[in-house]
Amino acid sequence: MNQEPRPPSAPEPLLAAWIKWTMDFWETLAQMGPRQTGTALPSGALPHGIKSPLHEYSRLALRMWEAFFSLLTEPRTVDAVFRGIKAPSEMILQMAQTGWGGYFHLHQQWLEGGGRVEAPGLEDLGQDFLTAWAEKYEEQFKQLVNLAQTGLLSIPQEKISQGVARFGQYQAAMTEFMNLLYLPLKKSLQVMDENLEKIAHEGELSEDFKEYYRMWLRILEGEYMTLFKSQEYRRTLSYTLNALEDFTAAKQELLADTLKILALPTVQEMDEIYQEIYLLKKRVKDLERKLAKLGPAA
Amino acid sequence: MTPPKIPVDLIMAKLAVEARKAQHRLEKAKDVLLGPLNTDIATTPCDIVYQEDRVRLKHYRPLKKSRQKTPLLLVYALINRETVLDLEPGRSMVQGLLKEGVEVYLVDWGHPRRQDRYLTLDDHVNGYLDTMVDFLRERHRLPQINLMGVSMGGTLAVMYTALHPEKIKNLITTATPVHFDTDKGLLHLWTKEIEADRLVDTFGNMPGDLLNAAFLLLNPARLVFDKYVGFLENLDNQEFVENFIRMEKWIFDSPDVPGETFRQFLKDCYQRNLLIKNQMELGGRRVNLKKITMPLLNIFGRYDHLVPPEACAPLTKKVGSRDLTEICLDTGHIGIYLSSRGPKGLVARIAAWLKEREPNGQIARSAAKKT
Repeated sequence: MNQEPRPPSAPEPLLAAWIKWTMDFWETLAQMGPRQTGTALPSGALPHGIKSPLHEYSRLALRMWEAFFSLLTEPRTVDAVFRGIKAPSEMILQMAQTGWGGYFHLHQQWLEGGGRVEAPGLEDLGQDFLTAWAEKYEEQFKQLVNLAQTGLLSIPQEKISQGVARFGQYQAAMTEFMNLLYLPLKKSLQVMDENLEKIAHEGELSEDFKEYYRMWLRILEGEYMTLFKSQEYRRTLSYTLNALEDFTAAKQELLADTLKILALPTVQEMDEIYQEIYLLKKRVKDLERKLAKLGPAA
Repeated sequence: MTPPKIPVDLIMAKLAVEARKAQHRLEKAKDVLLGPLNTDIATTPCDIVYQEDRVRLKHYRPLKKSRQKTPLLLVYALINRETVLDLEPGRSMVQGLLKEGVEVYLVDWGHPRRQDRYLTLDDHVNGYLDTMVDFLRERHRLPQINLMGVSMGGTLAVMYTALHPEKIKNLITTATPVHFDTDKGLLHLWTKEIEADRLVDTFGNMPGDLLNAAFLLLNPARLVFDKYVGFLENLDNQEFVENFIRMEKWIFDSPDVPGETFRQFLKDCYQRNLLIKNQMELGGRRVNLKKITMPLLNIFGRYDHLVPPEACAPLTKKVGSRDLTEICLDTGHIGIYLSSRGPKGLVARIAAWLKEREPNGQIARSAAKKT
């Protein structure tokens, strides 16, 4: 059976009726005073005929609200109000659509950029992941962290961003360094495997586990010595130390700002005082020595 | 090719035996670890006879009447603590020297704080060290004392002696780096790339923990891994556990190094190698190794990976002394101080060398001799 769609109930008559009932209620309440109730006036109350200021203000406020609400009863006004109510939600929906669209677009770009890295072999998976991560950090995330800040809090915000950037850099450097330290371990296990195979073929396998442990330890020591003498290790060590220094400096700057807000002396201020004390002490010692040389006559 | 015959049955049998042994060892280890352990270090009785700021001078009470008139001042490095020279009874260089009748004083550099970051090498050498030498000269009413430097402390002792030769009777250096431009030690390689200014400006004092990490990295296979495997294997041996914990206490008691001292030491010594070239300056005064004309005993370890023989041996050729003795021990850096047991140990040789050069003893005037 076909049913005709019900027309949506028009909100305007309902709203008008509600407004009228509300106004009638509050007006009736406002007109009721101590006179109407027949109760005795409390002490301090104004005598009959003189209007209380509070009463006047209430009546004025009611008149204003009545005038405002009476506007709402007009169909044109109600229509505008409801369109206004719908507008924010439409705006929010539009903003959300734009935001998601933009995010997906960025994500797609990022994936396309990452597609340049070839599928790694299993053995190089760790190293390629680190390299790809380091590249991504430099090209994508670092730009976000280094965005220019504006406004009253721009300088502290920049320092926080710097701290975050330095932390990221330090993390990347430390990860690379730890990965480098892991390589001799990996290599030693490979060499040990080859040695064991060779010994097994020669039929010289020992029953003593300690022998294998000592053999592996000697290989591991040798691999580490080779790594530690390499230029790559020295470069990575220097880079990691520099990243640690940069991160420490950024942390110290943030700490200095916090200490300033708390009206506490900063590390730099204390260092200046220490330096002055050190120089003063040196001067005093020098003068004491000169005085001692002059003898008791001085 | 026939597949290799792996004696799986023998290996499994061995595993079972080892497992039983391990279980028995664990039971005993529990008693050892939960029982009373004597892990105190630096227990030889001493008195603090002088103190300036954080630096203290310890005087060890003589065990017997001193056979030697001239006291010996021991100067340890600014890295790690001097307590390694008195680690435990039976492995204490200090006790060994006391038993040989040497009157021993030891410099305790203490734990630098932030306020010490501006102290320079000059402050340590011409400041603290010079004041303590003068104090001892006055205390014993002697014009000169004996000076012995250990590791970086030896480098400080060499600098001091070159600047104040009139105050030192005999000089002993143990595992003392003076020539830093060598590829034999990893530290020498690594420090070439480090930016000293940046490091010190960031941290103030050089953090002891960072230095410790660097030392552990010199041989991680042994120092980070094998050492603790050995510890686990000997958990049931109380003496081993006590010695191990004492050693750990010393290794990880790492004071910070005052920033300006570290800056100059790294730049002038490790990076520019000025000391051996007689171009190093402290407080505006040139350190000239030729000014060292008193008897010199130079001791180093053949397997020292921290301060290789190539860094220590050149001192003998650069000083102005004619009474020169070199001792190369078959040991590493720490072994020099801890391999001092018995009459033929290092301590006995040091004491004998000093005794020969006492005013009423024999004084060797021979040229450099290697032992």
